[in-house]
Parts: sequence; structure tokens; C-alpha cells
Amino acid sequence: MATGFTKNRLEKILSGSLSASENVEQHLSAIDKNEKNIRAFIDIFADDARKKAKEIDAKIKGRTKVGKLAGLTIAVKSNICISGKRATCASKVLENYVAPYNATVIERILAEDAIIIGAANMDEFAAGSDCTNSAFYPTHNPLDHERVPGGSSGGSAAAVSAGFADLALGSDTGGSIRCPASFCGIVGMKSTYGTVSRYGLIDMGMSLDQIGPFACDSSGANLLLSAISGKDKFDQSTYASAEAGSGAHADISKFTIGIPKEFFAGADPEVAKAVKDSIKKLEAKGAKVKEISLPAVKYAVPIYYLTMCAEFSSAMQKYDGLRYGFPANVNQNLVLAVSEAREKSFGKEVKRRVLLGTYITMKEQVDAWYTKAIDARKALSHEFDSAFKQCDVLIGPTMPTLPWKIGEKSNDPLQMYLSDILTVSANLAQIPAASIPCGMSGKLSIGLQIHANKLQEAKIFAIMKALEE
Amino acid sequence: MAEDYAGVIIGLEIHLQLATKAKLFCECPSDYRNAEINTQICPICTSQPGSKPMSLNKTAVKNLLKLVIALNGKLDPGAPIAVQRKHYFYPDLPSNYQRTSKPIAVKGKLGKIGIWELHIEEDPGRYDLKTGKVDYNRSGVPLVETVTAPDFRSPEEAREFLDELQAITNYLGNIRSEPGSMKVDANISFKGGKRVEVKNINSFKGVYTALKYEIVRQKNMFASGIAVEQETRHYDEGQGVTTGMRKKETAEDYRYIPDPDELPLVITKELIEEAKKEMPELPRAKVERFVKSYKIREDSAWVVCGELELANLFEKLAKEIDPQKLAFWISGPLKKQLNYRTLFFKESGLRESDIKTLSSKFIAGEITDKVMEQKLIEMLNAQASGKHFELKLEEVIKISDSVELEKIVKQAIASNPKVVEDFKAGNDKSLNFLAGQIMKQTKGRADAQAVMQLIRKLVQ
Ligand SMILES: [Zn+2]
Repeated sequence: MATGFTKNRLEKILSGSLSASENVEQHLSAIDKNEKNIRAFIDIFADDARKKAKEIDAKIKGRTKVGKLAGLTIAVKSNICISGKRATCASKVLENYVAPYNATVIERILAEDAIIIGAANMDEFAAGSDCTNSAFYPTHNPLDHERVPGGSSGGSAAAVSAGFADLALGSDTGGSIRCPASFCGIVGMKSTYGTVSRYGLIDMGMSLDQIGPFACDSSGANLLLSAISGKDKFDQSTYASAEAGSGAHADISKFTIGIPKEFFAGADPEVAKAVKDSIKKLEAKGAKVKEISLPAVKYAVPIYYLTMCAEFSSAMQKYDGLRYGFPANVNQNLVLAVSEAREKSFGKEVKRRVLLGTYITMKEQVDAWYTKAIDARKALSHEFDSAFKQCDVLIGPTMPTLPWKIGEKSNDPLQMYLSDILTVSANLAQIPAASIPCGMSGKLSIGLQIHANKLQEAKIFAIMKALEE
Repeated sequence: MAEDYAGVIIGLEIHLQLATKAKLFCECPSDYRNAEINTQICPICTSQPGSKPMSLNKTAVKNLLKLVIALNGKLDPGAPIAVQRKHYFYPDLPSNYQRTSKPIAVKGKLGKIGIWELHIEEDPGRYDLKTGKVDYNRSGVPLVETVTAPDFRSPEEAREFLDELQAITNYLGNIRSEPGSMKVDANISFKGGKRVEVKNINSFKGVYTALKYEIVRQKNMFASGIAVEQETRHYDEGQGVTTGMRKKETAEDYRYIPDPDELPLVITKELIEEAKKEMPELPRAKVERFVKSYKIREDSAWVVCGELELANLFEKLAKEIDPQKLAFWISGPLKKQLNYRTLFFKESGLRESDIKTLSSKFIAGEITDKVMEQKLIEMLNAQASGKHFELKLEEVIKISDSVELEKIVKQAIASNPKVVEDFKAGNDKSLNFLAGQIMKQTKGRADAQAVMQLIRKLVQ
């Protein structure tokens, strides 16, 4: 993987050796050639991108100050609102929904002179781990077209991996950035919950959701993260920018790297080996390595699905056929009208999660399920807290397996849920985690995942930098 | 009266709008009364996909605390206001869940009525069943719900409580008490019987009518041997009746969950102190003081103190006018005209100087009650139609000169021989006609009683 890729491109644009317009044309021609095989996008904004590129070129020529993303193209996951564009969430429900406002991250990247190239495909309402749950069409892995790109932000990851965009924005509720980053052979990061505003991100699990960057390399991810993070009055969970993750100044030779044995428990041997080889590389650079145990990780998947589904079913309540989706037939009782519209509007996986979430928050069930999940989540977070008292970062594989074939897991939701085992803990504990390529298996890429304590993104970037060297 | 209501148990849930500039979770204006449909909305209060609530409106919270203090509720410094989501499907609710807090305060008391709890929530939009349109201007307006203990034993007790509550909201000045900005749900049962909930009563007056109706209805059912079932009924303001809505077999499941987007706002000691500092003298205290220092009757004191502006006016004028007579005049003639027009004094446009002139002249016996009432009506009508009105009393001063009055009466008798004949034939009522003629001729300036006495004396 070419390190410094994003930076080089940015420097070229700023120096005038590559115009923003040329940059856009390069990406558009790649899209022209390969999008039919990949299907990374739901909408492509070729005209808007060209127009914006011209404005930026004029600024550069006129020596007007430009933003830190000047001329770089960005693919945006279709659950992030761009004013005047469809925010479909890859769902029939929002197929015709045009967002009336910009998400905070969109305001921020536009202020930094980024160029939005398209709205990327995803699993419907982010419910999925391989991007085959899009109500429109699945996205294909650019490294092997027969295989999934990972999900739910599969379109965003595929767009960067296939050279359709310099950078991409995804969202990560239980691994939805890190899984596709791992499968598509790029860098993806979910920062500390609250570092990036969720305003304008269509809800999945509100206490878990976080918008984050995709890039070819860690510095690209760092650049995009620094542009989008910071306090926002429209999202109460956000930290002031001074606290949020920024530059990579940490010295890894002083690091203790924790290796939780649970992270390797069900991992494919090939995957485990690639990750362990990379850890040796870090050891060689002076980092100390320590085997630890995080027993609660065994329960992370059920804790995650209970928490997420409860929040998801609440968030999905607004799609009732009266305001969005297939119009309800209102010439009947309201309950029937709404159920009928919802039955028609949602895909299978969305329905499964809404039903599960509704069930576990019912009066007779809430104590047995949802309340218990909240308590278990606290216990799991506490375990991570303790681990970070002795370790700077925790390292393991991002995904236990290599990308599977399209359709392979579509009829086995439980298998699909289990593939999230290594990514969901970071969301539950609200800590930062990133995936970076660490080896190949044939055409396929293997991802290594780094966790750090809250607001210690710098440590993750330091590790990634060391691995890229 | 008391026997009529034997065994009646009533509890109230009162929703009041907090008069804040902005809505509860966004920056849209909260006063929607004169706004065009859907002009005071944003992605947050229409719950657009992806929008998140802003943190609780601090002013709304302070206003709520003041109401809690007025109702003698217990506040727990350091306690968070935990916002929950209450799920149900309805077209006026843009997210199909309502944000509502857990109880902010518990165990209050107003008079002998216990207050169970107060909490804050957002108002839904307004759904027009006829057009099928929803106006989201109201969506997100802060509401405070007060839940009383089932301590009322008659509709009169409920009315008394609500009158005091209305006075309190008027004194606090931060709660909208206009029609349409409040809503009451009433629970009515007879001892040992099932509970009926009457929903969506939109005025304090409506509560009284609804309760009276519902009690009679339940009594009639008992009398005919029909059991009252637990149910929710709707109050029809136009008809003054309650109608069945839906049978409540089991409690509806709202699937409450803590709102993951709303960080709990802590009620700090400072915030409580700040609210306490801003508390005015409350109606109950004012009534006590007025009774004590002005020696006015308690029932008139409650009327005078029912509105802060009226109470203030009273105190000002009482420096120059006999307080007892003044209180009697305010709670009687003045309040009668205001009530007739369902006006608060502050909305009436009546000028303090005019009120002072009118009441003092009347109390001093310089104008008759007829003239006083006439002038009051003229003033209010002029205000209502936006016309300028000047109060002139020179020409309407009471005819106190008995010689002059005798002359007028004699003249009337002389020019109505037929009426006098009728009287002599035994028709006592015919004298009323004469009196009426004289009152008309003098434009009410004559004292009605004196005129009648004179007629009787002179007609013989
Ligand atoms: Zn608003």
C-alpha cells in the first residue's frame, strides 16, 4: 500500500501540478470504467463535482486560501444527509427522500474544499455486515468481484479501494467502517464516540453510531478525521475539538501492546498469522507486547445486538408510510395502515432488527433483555478500562475471516452477526478503533485492528504509521 | 350538594405550555399562535432523518422549577432530568415517539390537594383530521405535566384548585394559560368502582363541565344496574358531554427507553437558588395578606388575587379608595364584565386612570350603578373595536338634588295619565313603566330606588 498517498495528491493539487478538475476527471473515468462491476455508488454527482473542482482551481490560481481537503474527492455513505441530495440509506423507504439540510460533517468537509463525488451504497439502514442488504443492489469487492466488500459502509470502502474517490465517509455502529476497510484493503477508523458529530447521520444505534474516515493510508484517514471532528451544538455527545483525536505524536517504542487472547479465538489461521507477524514488526520497533484476557468479549455480540436493536427499533419508528416510504392506505384503521406500509417498505434484515428491538423493550421483556444488556455493556466497558491501565493499545484481527462470497451468508443471519465479534466492543465501550491492511491472502486483504482508550486516537495513528513504514 | 358527590374520587393530569422563546430541543420559536402553518419548523422539530435534539432548553427547565416550587414539590439538587422516549404511532408525532422526562419533582401540595409529580415533555404537532394536514409549528413546544393525587371529592374542588393553579401560572408569567395551550386529563371514579379517564379537555372551564357530566353519567349507570368499565373517554367541548373512545383492556405499552441522544441535564443547587430568587409572592400568600391588612373578605380576595395585574391595581388604588368597597367592586361588577368577555384584566385594555375615576366616583355615590356599568361596557367595547374612548362623568353625575328629581317625576306622572289610572285600578306593575321612562329620560343618572319611592309618594 502506497503510504502518503493522500498527502502526495493534496500537495500536487496545492502546487498546481494536478488541478482539482483533473483529479475529479481521473476519478470519474475510473468510475466510468469499473463502477458497473463494483456498484459502489447509489448516486454519482459528476456535474456538481466538476463545478466544485473549478471553483477550487480558481481559488488556487487566485492564491485564495483553500481548505485542508482542497480538491480531494470524497464518497459519502448514503445515510449521511447532503442538502438537496437523496439520503436513501439504500432503502425503498427513503428512495425518494431528499435531505433538506447538511449533516455537520458535510458542512465541515465542504468548508475544507472537499469535492463530494457520490453517495455510496450500503446495507439498508446500515443493517448488515457485507453490503448485500442494500435494497438496490449489492456492492462487489474491488479486490475480488465475486466477494463482498464488507459492510455496512461497503460502498464507501469499495469506492476508495477501486480508485473512485480519494477518501470516503462511512458510519460505524458495530464495525461498519472497520469491516469493509479490512475486506477492501484500506484504512478505516471509528474514533471515540463523540469526536465526530452525528447530526445528519441517519440513526441506527444512537449510543453506538460514529461517522469516520476511509483512506488508502493512515495519514489520509487522519486528515479527514481532523476535518470532521469537534464540538457541535447539534450533537450533545460531541467533545470540544481540543479533546478530539488529532496528530500522531505518540512514540510507539514506549508502548505496551495488549494482545487479548479472545481476539484470536475463532480467527481463521491465515488471518491470525498475518496479524501476529505485524505485531512482531512492532515489537522489533521497541514496543512491549503483553498477552491479556477480556472475558466479556465472548458476550459482546449479544450485548451489541440487544443494545443496537432496541435503539434501532425506536429510530425506525418514524418510517410509518405517512411521511416516508410506500404510502400507507389511510382508508382503514391507523394501526393496519402503518403496519401494511412498514411491511412493504422494509427489507428482511431491517424488519428482523426492528422486531427484535421492539420485543426486548416491551414492558414485560425490558428487564429480562434490554436492561440486562445495558448492565452487561457497563461491565464490558469496565474490562476495557482495566486493560488500558496496563496497555496503550490492544491489537487483533479486524475480521475473524476473509471476505466471503456474495450471497454466502445472506440466509444465515446468526453467522453474519458472529462475524462482528471483533468489532462491536469498540462501539459498546465508545473507544476508538481502526483497521489497517496487514497482509494478503491471494487477491484478498487481511485487516489488523487497533483499539485505544477514549480520545487516544493519536496512539492508533502512531501504530498505523509504524506498520506502514 | 355534598351528598350528591358521596364517594366521588377525582385526579387530574394538567399539561401546561411553558412560555419560552425557543422550543424544548431546537431553536425554533415556541409561540405559534399567529404563525402560518409549518413556518416555525426545522429538521429537529420535524424529526428529519438524521437530526438530533439539542440539549434541553434551560429557560424551560427554570420555568418548570418555579412551578415546582409554587406547588411545594420536593427538588433534589444534583438530580438529572432524564429524558425518555415514549413510543406510539400518531400523525402529529413526527418521530412516532415523544420525548418526556422522568418525574422532576414529587410529593407537592397545593391547599389540601396532593401533587404526585411534575415532568417536562414536548408538545406534538397539530393534526387536522378534516384536511389530514399536520402543523408542526407546535411540535417541540415545552410542556409541563402536573399529576395530582386523587384528592378531589367534587367538581367544585377541582375548579377551585384549577383557579388557583391558573393564578399561579399568571403570577409566574412563564406559562401560557390562553385557551388551547393547556390540556387536562381527568380520572373519575366512585369509591370501589372502575376508573374512567376523560382525555383532552382543553380549558379549565371544560374540566368542571366534564366532571359534572361524567359523575351524572356514572351515577345513572349505577342506578340502572350497569357496571362502569375502565375506559378512556373523550370530552366534547361543544356538547359538554363525554363520549367513549376506546376500551382500555390493558395499559398501552409505550416501550419507554432512555433517549440515547439526550444527555441528562443536572438540576444544580445554583439553578434551584436562581429559580427561588425569581419567585413572586404567590396568590395564596397574597390573599392571606390582603385579608389581614385590608380587612377584605376572603372570597373577594381570591377573585382580586386571581390575576396579578388585578391584585397590583387593587393595592395601588386601595391607598385612596376604601379597600373593602374597592375589593367588592373589583370582584363584583368589574370581574363580571371581564368574565362575560372571557378576558383577563391585562388583556382588557382598561386604563388604570379610568378604573380609578370610575370606581372612586361609584364608591363615593356620585354615579349610579347603572351609569357605572354602562361606562364599563362602553370602555370595554371601545377597546375591543380599537376605538378611542374618553371617560367623561360630568354629565352623568347622579341627580342627588331632590327638588330636581321631584320635578322630573311629577312631569312623568302628568304626561302618563293612563299609567296612573292602571295603577289605581290595582295594577301595581304599571309603576315600573313610569320608573323606566324616568330612567331613560335621565340616562340612568337618577337613583332607581329613590325614583320608585318618589313615584309611590306622588302618584297617590
Ligand atoms: Zn425546530
